[in-house]
Amino acid sequence: MLVLSRQKDESIMIGDGIRITVVDVRGDKVRLGITAPKDVKVFRAELYEEIQRQNREALQPAPEDVDKLKDLLG
Amino acid sequence: MADSRVQIQTTRFGSLSVPEAACYAFPEGILGFPGLTRYALFDNPGGGPLKWLQCLEDPALAFVCCDPALFVPGYRVAVHREDLQGLSLERVEDGHVLVILVIAKVPSESTANLLGPVVLNVPARLGKQLVLSDSEHSSRHPLFSATKA
Repeated sequence: MLVLSRQKDESIMIGDGIRITVVDVRGDKVRLGITAPKDVKVFRAELYEEIQRQNREALQPAPEDVDKLKDLLG
Repeated sequence: MADSRVQIQTTRFGSLSVPEAACYAFPEGILGFPGLTRYALFDNPGGGPLKWLQCLEDPALAFVCCDPALFVPGYRVAVHREDLQGLSLERVEDGHVLVILVIAKVPSESTANLLGPVVLNVPARLGKQLVLSDSEHSSRHPLFSATKA
């Protein structure tokens, strides 16, 4: 992993289109500003990972469990 | 053309015939399953309000989903303009929202992922899983209230 040191108001560029700026540093919290093309998705990593995890859990449920839920729904 | 049907392969139901109109392109795939971009949506063959989102490129890749209104009245998706563009969605009424369910062994403990809804552009047959980053919705919303008798 590439590690760079940056101070407040300094930026890094990722390719031509993505700029990440350190907006504020307070204690152990860093605020980042991100400028990216509209088709580049930017999320907190844990949010992205959580949805991936839920998708994997949702995958191919056991047929009998689907039927049980269906029956529960009436 | 409206009547054309396609034969799809599913692990769960074997070979099924679905209307071509029920086949959607997901250019960005479903999160966690990159490179798989074609899905069919069909009603649960066993009946009821549940639907299956079945990958056309992998018979074993299938999700159960449903209309969120079934469990969460008033669920609204704040969709960003860039998401709408990705779906070529110009009219709200062309959009259709589904949520993916995690079906538990104890069915009453099943949950819906309200944080990552699937939005379809029905006429264009395009789909996308959104990530509601500015949302207070849960990724594991219980389908049934814990206080249920």
